[in-house]
Amino acid sequence: MKKYNWLTLWALALIAFFSTGCDSEDVAPMPTINYQKIAEGQTETADIKVEVYSTDKLYTGYNPLHIALFDAASGKRIEQASIKLQPMMHMMDKQHAAPVENPATDRAVDGLFSGAVVFTMPSGEMGSWTLVVEVEADGRKTKATVPVTVFEPATSRLKSFVSKTDGAKYFVAYLQPQQPKVGVNDLEVAVYRVNNMMDFPAESKLTLELNPEMPAMGHGSPNNVNPVHQSGGHYIGKVNFTMTGLWHLHLTLKDGTEEAGKVYFEVNF
Amino acid sequence: MKTPILIGTFALAALPAWAQLQPIPADSIRTILLQEVAISTKRHNHQQHLQEFYTANKAATTEELLSRMPEVSFIRRGSYGMEPTIRAYSASQVSVTLDGMRIQGACTDKMDPATIYIEPLNLQSIEVQTAGGSAMQGTAIGGSLNMKLAEAELADEPKLSGAVSTGYQSAANAVLGGLRLNYATPVWGLRASGTYRNAQNYRNGNGDKVLYSQYEKANIALNGKFLLQDDLILKADFIADDGWNIGFPALPMDVGTAKARIGSLSLVRENEERRWTRLEARLYANRIAHSMDDSARPDLPVRMDMPGLSRTSGLYVEGTTAPGANQQLSVRADASASYLEASMTMYQEGQAPMFMLTWPNNRQLQSGVAAQYSWQVNAKTQLQLNSRLNVSDFSVTSREGRDQMAVFGSTGTERQFVIPAATVQLSRMVYKKLKASISGGINGRTPTASELYGFYLFSQFDGYDYVGNPDLKPERGMQGEFTLSWQEPKVRVQATAYASKVENYIVGAYKPELSAMTMGARGVKVYYNAPYALLMGAEASAVYNINGYTQLVSTLKYSYGRDAAGEPLPMIAPLRHVSSLRKYFGDNLWVQGETEIAAAQHRNSESFGEQPTEPFMLWHLRAGYQKETARKVWQLNAGVENIFNVNYREHLDWGQITRPGRNMFVQLSMGF
Repeated sequence: MKKYNWLTLWALALIAFFSTGCDSEDVAPMPTINYQKIAEGQTETADIKVEVYSTDKLYTGYNPLHIALFDAASGKRIEQASIKLQPMMHMMDKQHAAPVENPATDRAVDGLFSGAVVFTMPSGEMGSWTLVVEVEADGRKTKATVPVTVFEPATSRLKSFVSKTDGAKYFVAYLQPQQPKVGVNDLEVAVYRVNNMMDFPAESKLTLELNPEMPAMGHGSPNNVNPVHQSGGHYIGKVNFTMTGLWHLHLTLKDGTEEAGKVYFEVNF
Repeated sequence: MKTPILIGTFALAALPAWAQLQPIPADSIRTILLQEVAISTKRHNHQQHLQEFYTANKAATTEELLSRMPEVSFIRRGSYGMEPTIRAYSASQVSVTLDGMRIQGACTDKMDPATIYIEPLNLQSIEVQTAGGSAMQGTAIGGSLNMKLAEAELADEPKLSGAVSTGYQSAANAVLGGLRLNYATPVWGLRASGTYRNAQNYRNGNGDKVLYSQYEKANIALNGKFLLQDDLILKADFIADDGWNIGFPALPMDVGTAKARIGSLSLVRENEERRWTRLEARLYANRIAHSMDDSARPDLPVRMDMPGLSRTSGLYVEGTTAPGANQQLSVRADASASYLEASMTMYQEGQAPMFMLTWPNNRQLQSGVAAQYSWQVNAKTQLQLNSRLNVSDFSVTSREGRDQMAVFGSTGTERQFVIPAATVQLSRMVYKKLKASISGGINGRTPTASELYGFYLFSQFDGYDYVGNPDLKPERGMQGEFTLSWQEPKVRVQATAYASKVENYIVGAYKPELSAMTMGARGVKVYYNAPYALLMGAEASAVYNINGYTQLVSTLKYSYGRDAAGEPLPMIAPLRHVSSLRKYFGDNLWVQGETEIAAAQHRNSESFGEQPTEPFMLWHLRAGYQKETARKVWQLNAGVENIFNVNYREHLDWGQITRPGRNMFVQLSMGF
């Protein structure tokens, strides 16, 4: 009898324990890619139609670009081509190019050839941008030139500095996080050296130190991971945000052990 | 309860009238029973006198009543919402329950201990248990504090009774209004009480106003009681407690609003004839919404809001039986689920609000079984065993919360703690009326939500931001206690010494590599398990009935704590003594003189930046007068506290804020 009562108590306790409801686990929805057509045009040979897509308008800084090619006559999508991108800024007295990442393969992925351009300034009174898309398909080599408009983003996504070690100018472009959250975020930046107005090779030999700061509060965040070079001038690390608000991501770029320069990016969320 | 009895702030050994309902009382139980005004007018005995001793200031809050118990101290950050502690133990080492129900505070800064949700008007008794006796209530290292709710009365004929009271206290220019109504029939009863308090900034002993020490609150309590069968009662309780504009002078923020809703349903069967003489089952739920606010504070670099929410639901079943002659067994099974969340949003002009979860949404599931066995071995010897096995599961429930915890490298937030506790107590009459009790046992406690998951919780006490550590181990305690008591009708004396070693003592460790979030903070501390801490102390009390109309009550207490490195622990009260002498002039008038003495505390914790505290001595004078007419009972209570307007602070008061100076109080009540 006593044993029975004891069991009843336990059973009640267990019922309470398991009936205390389940938690709502919020699952982030899969992002759907929404391509916008930025520009389109025809190659000089007039046999290929070129369409340029991105996920947003073009801004000063790093912009992924997706190129779609169509046979002008049949309208059929071209899946095999070698593409080179050549952005050009046309100003009153001069013109200059910008860093690019050409599509890595000759095969389209989902019908698109994906590369990137780092626009170094916005379109405007100072000048306007064109994008030259060189296409090599079926052994024929041709190109299309399309005008593109580049906007200045609300927070700057491209910084530059003049190296204290070699005197050259460098561009630092911000890639990630695009959707910052409180917590651990992947951080990605790309660094390019300005050799001349037309040549901006990716820079891979620098060492980056990351120091996030919340300027309104004067504090940082713990356990960040300094970005290290992966490939093509891209440096990847981790940045931790302990709260929402305006953060400054301070990057110290070192050439060997010597400091080459410092830049910071604003992240506001 | 037919014979309301005060076991007393200085409860001494067994009380026969109580034994029929309660387990054979152990020396480790201290109870204050608060009597209904209506009843107290009809009887005059010593126990009643004793009880009124510490409820003499009828305008007192529950906190003030509790602070009279020798084992209880309060960590004070403001005039209201003080955090109760027992002996040298910290508040997180103590289990605080409301009539057996768990309530989790919704404030990350501990501004809302469960003791604030109950008013003396709806409080029946306070039970403080030390040593192993607390095992029935929950897992704790330092004992338990349980506040019993007042219940509706039944009567042979339908009857409405009640009382209206109002009071004033001069130091804080505070007003109090209270109303209690009871409707009784033979098979059901309904009790309703309401209390309203409004206090301004108080004046300290220097005559200066202490800014941000005001508060305002209202409390409504309902209790219904239905006799389902001769021995079976259904009870329903509901409490709504709302506070506004509660100032915390020792903190950088105040409480804008604090709302508590507490409800329960229970079934109680009490029948001496049955195998289980008492059985109780209860379902309960409560919700606390708390919001901190700094809008009253000038010149802050950043404005912020800090809301917090806690929800708890649970049940318990307990029963008492007599397995054999002179034996008593009480068992209890309980389970509860608590959900906590708290956030902070900081505002700076021209910028996006800065938002973070200070308590990432988290859940605590708790279940346990406990048993208490008492055996009166022979006329001189008594044995008591207490045990509990408790399992709790903690986890962070939202993705945002887990993302945030990942900043400190934590990969998993789910934790399970299994805590066993067992205590043996042996009491024996060793010489004439001298009784000795010795007890020893093991216990433990789970880390709190703040200790596991807290995210940059600023502590004004030491000036550090605190970060939780999901990998904490539970604290384990080993405790021993020794009590000697001498009891005869005129004199009762009791002395207790206790010592415990707490392993895996949870405390913050300074991490110089982390940058503080709060402006002006000295750095960041992360909770960790220190090897151990030693806590010990002693209490003594004496009640001397000089003659039928004069009574002397004295208490003395001392606590000592140190960590593994030999450094004093913070928040340890110094040697303290309270003596009261009361004299009755006839049956209607009494006058009571009181003195409180606290020694200096120079064993302050350097690593917490704790300051030493000066000694002080206070004098109080209280008086009560009552007049019974045919249908009404009038009661007038008045007095002066801190007569000599001493400017003092207790060691457990934060922020060098001194306490109220001379306070004159008056309270009038009319019972019918």
